[in-house]
Amino acid sequence: MSTNEGKTAALEGEALMKVLESYAGTQDGAPGSCPYPVNDAMIHHWCDAIGDRNPAYLDRGFAESSSHGGIIAPPTMLQAWTMRGLRPPTPEEEAWAKEAGDRKSVLQVLDAAGFTSVVATNCEQEYFRELHPGDQLTHVVEIESVSPEKKTGLGVGHFVTQLYKFMDAEGAVVGTMRFRILKFRPPRAAD
Amino acid sequence: MSEAKARPTRRFDSVKVGDTLPPLSVPLSRTLIVATAIASRDYQDVHHDPTLAKERGSPDIFMNILTTNGFVGRFVTDWTGPEATLRKVDIRLGAPNYPGDEMTIEGSVTARDESNRTVEVSLRGRNRLGDHVTGKVVVALPA
Repeated sequence: MSTNEGKTAALEGEALMKVLESYAGTQDGAPGSCPYPVNDAMIHHWCDAIGDRNPAYLDRGFAESSSHGGIIAPPTMLQAWTMRGLRPPTPEEEAWAKEAGDRKSVLQVLDAAGFTSVVATNCEQEYFRELHPGDQLTHVVEIESVSPEKKTGLGVGHFVTQLYKFMDAEGAVVGTMRFRILKFRPPRAAD
Repeated sequence: MSEAKARPTRRFDSVKVGDTLPPLSVPLSRTLIVATAIASRDYQDVHHDPTLAKERGSPDIFMNILTTNGFVGRFVTDWTGPEATLRKVDIRLGAPNYPGDEMTIEGSVTARDESNRTVEVSLRGRNRLGDHVTGKVVVALPA
């Protein structure tokens, strides 16, 4: 990972792009975990907040006699299960941070190069199987791609696509999420 | 214990390209923005703290992306009925959903695939500022 180290503050143009490209296919951050499995209480909180009354999520009697074979989680909850929230870091996350040391993430490289603002532009989730209460998920995030410098309505920046893979307890991928953000240089007031 | 008899689920053969879905209007109360952020375990301050949201350059708190996905999923499964299976939600994000606004999602069937009984719904969720979300959902329907 030596290409990800070193001074990046002055990087620009081709030199910056070379560093950014070196991140493609690398893992971004510690694996995500959740201390509890997919569960009815969180499903109900989500459905109540969103106003979703789908009985496949909420009605055990219906769900067990349906094609789902039992309660399923709303598929769009995929990302919620492994959100860190306010919990303290796990030993695995602390070990990851220690191992990473001063090594910058691709977003930190872009910050240092002046692309300090961020906006999410696209989110694509695919679901390979339905999730039921009891499923225990983890995720890993990979940098799928970093675009060359682009002029956008918000300013000049780079698009970064992160690929999340969500796994069950057996390690099978149950869903993926491609999350694209634009890291851009905020236009100066005088511009 | 079933609460009530569930609505029947739309069958694949009954759906045609061009069919429109019933619109879903969502009044964006402050409670909704905060409750959905917390229900999705997203504690970023811009989704619940107006003072910090302003410090970060936003006029107010705004809806998080996990919640947008949730409403897009609901929009489609409210129409399909409960025995459909979501396969893909692919969205592009636009104008933020701020408290006091209202988002209305509209959409129609733009493709169907006999081989796996899936249909594609193209949709758009607008608020006062413009398009909050545009995108496509792929959902499998029973035979």
